[in-house]
Amino acid sequence: MTELSLTDPTTYPRKVLFVAGAGRSGTSTMAGLMRIMGLHVPQPEVAADETNPKGFGEPRWVVDHHDRLLKEALVQVSDSRPEAWFETGRVSTREPERIATAQWLESHFQVSPELVVKDPRLGWFIGLWRVAAVRTGATPVFATMLRPPSEVVGSKQTYYANRLGSAHLAASWLNMMLHTERGTRVGAGEGALAGGRVFVRYADLLDDWVKTSMHVAETLQLQHVLHADSEQIRDGHRFVDPGLRRMSQTLEDLNLPPRLHELTGATWEELNKLADPGGDTPAVHEALDQLREAYVDLYEESAAISRSSVVAAEQRLKRQRPPAPPARGVADRIPHGVRAAIPPSVRKGLRKVAGRERPDAG
Amino acid sequence: MSASGSGVANLEGHTEFDITWPWTRPGGLRPGATAVLRVKDEARSLPWVLPPLLRATDHVLVVDNGSTDGSPEVTRETAEKAGLADRLTQATYPFQVARAGAEHLAQPERSVHSLAYFYNWCFAQVQTRYSWKWDGDMVLTTEGEVSIADLGWQVGDVQSIIRVPRHGLYLESDAKGYLDLGLRNAEEWGFPIGPDFVFTKAYEWEIRTTPEPVRSIGLPHGMCVELKYLDGDEFAHWTDPASFATSYRNKRKRREWTVYNALLEGTVLPGVHEITAPEGVHIVDFVTHEWLPRAPRPLEVGLPELAPVSPAQQALARREAQP
Repeated sequence: MTELSLTDPTTYPRKVLFVAGAGRSGTSTMAGLMRIMGLHVPQPEVAADETNPKGFGEPRWVVDHHDRLLKEALVQVSDSRPEAWFETGRVSTREPERIATAQWLESHFQVSPELVVKDPRLGWFIGLWRVAAVRTGATPVFATMLRPPSEVVGSKQTYYANRLGSAHLAASWLNMMLHTERGTRVGAGEGALAGGRVFVRYADLLDDWVKTSMHVAETLQLQHVLHADSEQIRDGHRFVDPGLRRMSQTLEDLNLPPRLHELTGATWEELNKLADPGGDTPAVHEALDQLREAYVDLYEESAAISRSSVVAAEQRLKRQRPPAPPARGVADRIPHGVRAAIPPSVRKGLRKVAGRERPDAG
Repeated sequence: MSASGSGVANLEGHTEFDITWPWTRPGGLRPGATAVLRVKDEARSLPWVLPPLLRATDHVLVVDNGSTDGSPEVTRETAEKAGLADRLTQATYPFQVARAGAEHLAQPERSVHSLAYFYNWCFAQVQTRYSWKWDGDMVLTTEGEVSIADLGWQVGDVQSIIRVPRHGLYLESDAKGYLDLGLRNAEEWGFPIGPDFVFTKAYEWEIRTTPEPVRSIGLPHGMCVELKYLDGDEFAHWTDPASFATSYRNKRKRREWTVYNALLEGTVLPGVHEITAPEGVHIVDFVTHEWLPRAPRPLEVGLPELAPVSPAQQALARREAQP
């Protein structure tokens, strides 16, 4: 193995930083800063628009890949079903998807040994990306952005004119964050799960991005950031806009149902502890395990109560489908090739049995 | 064996080893996955088997069944060394269990000597909602470790079986081994804990019941190796290796027997890869951390002459071939 040289990025070990977290939580700011410090954003990427004027830092291929996989798994980006994790996990076990993901990653490691990959859908496919990193000899590391759920829900409603109620948005935030935390949890010791993770409050990044990004770099051993030069730091100051944090709603403003309100508040409190130095502890994991279980229970109860809505929706869909074509005879449903293979005498006998004898030609 | 009621009493009247179904216990089952290993004389393999398994699961239960090579001590020391002793539970099952094959066939299902009873007793100690049936010689590769770790929590309350492919790794020394990719072999290792998934008797060994329909997913190849020692007695737990020839259910055993004996005679059969680790790296670490995870995909596994022959295996192969 080549020896690590501080001044020669080609000697840096392969590492891929995955930026996770709910959409509108500062994931673009984190990915953008990492790019400025020298990590490579695989190209081409999604173009900036009015919802994110400084760009998303999202590789186009990743977004399309995730979109396709979500469709195959019948999972929405903001899906509040706990079992949605099994569906995306199941898709992630498929060898062709593992091959495609690893090949894409490998092609970008040819450009740089340190990559940053960000997409709000990424949380659903953490396992798939971890496998791709293993196959390409890279260490996967995760930075999860944290923003108060009241602000995430408020931001989504403002920017995307989301007609879904805040209860559903809060539930999908809970589902995403509780399971992303579980999915990025690292094992002890030297194993493949010990790549590293860090939790970052969006507010901390905006208040003092220098301190916050150094904490990320030290925790995850991101060589480009650790050895960034002064011009890159100036660029960082030009990029981060403390005014980005425009929301100042409180959880009370969302008017959530009481149990959902309670769970959302408690989950935010525990996730916050993970962002404190030395805060990623077994005690917090245990508390989050209990909250995840409580969320699963709440979801299952709510689904059982609202089962009639699902049945009604199914019936509506059935009615919208075009009517089935008129029933045909058994013979018509047998492909022509198969029918032709049956000797004429047998066909005639079968027609007779079915009471569909043809008038004799004559 | 039926999972009705709160448990099963054994025929011999050893009430301290009666089975209490864990879902009937106060408090029920908690979320998470437990790996269950039934171990007899696996002290050589456990230092490789346990660390990745302890990292990848919420809990590991090792049930010793008459080891004389210090397996329980090695189990404890390995978990402590990995810093994961809090995830380990050890137990002892003191009865002699029938060997696979004719000896098993002769045992009543509710006897403490029956494989089905033994397995049900072991899995009745599990306190989580999902379980992995694991062997004391099965070592996860890096990709296997991360895949098992994810599925263990992703499965949640979904009633799904998970198949894990494994490949025989025949060890000649600390530096050299032979990896058999000649046989496609994926067995059902992941199961929910519940009344629909208990063990009952099959012809050569035990089988786990499943509800119909049941969901099932399979992991790709390259997840796990099964350690075999060329200087050991690999077939001691069979009544009579000659009985391998009886049916397609024994195909894996027949292949192992053939590969093992060929290697002892110095022949490397088609489908078997001779692998030498770099200096200073143990062959098991090299194969599970480097060789298999970095091997070109899709991994070339399965010789045509060892293709599935039973209707169920063919149906499974067709399902796996679908995108």
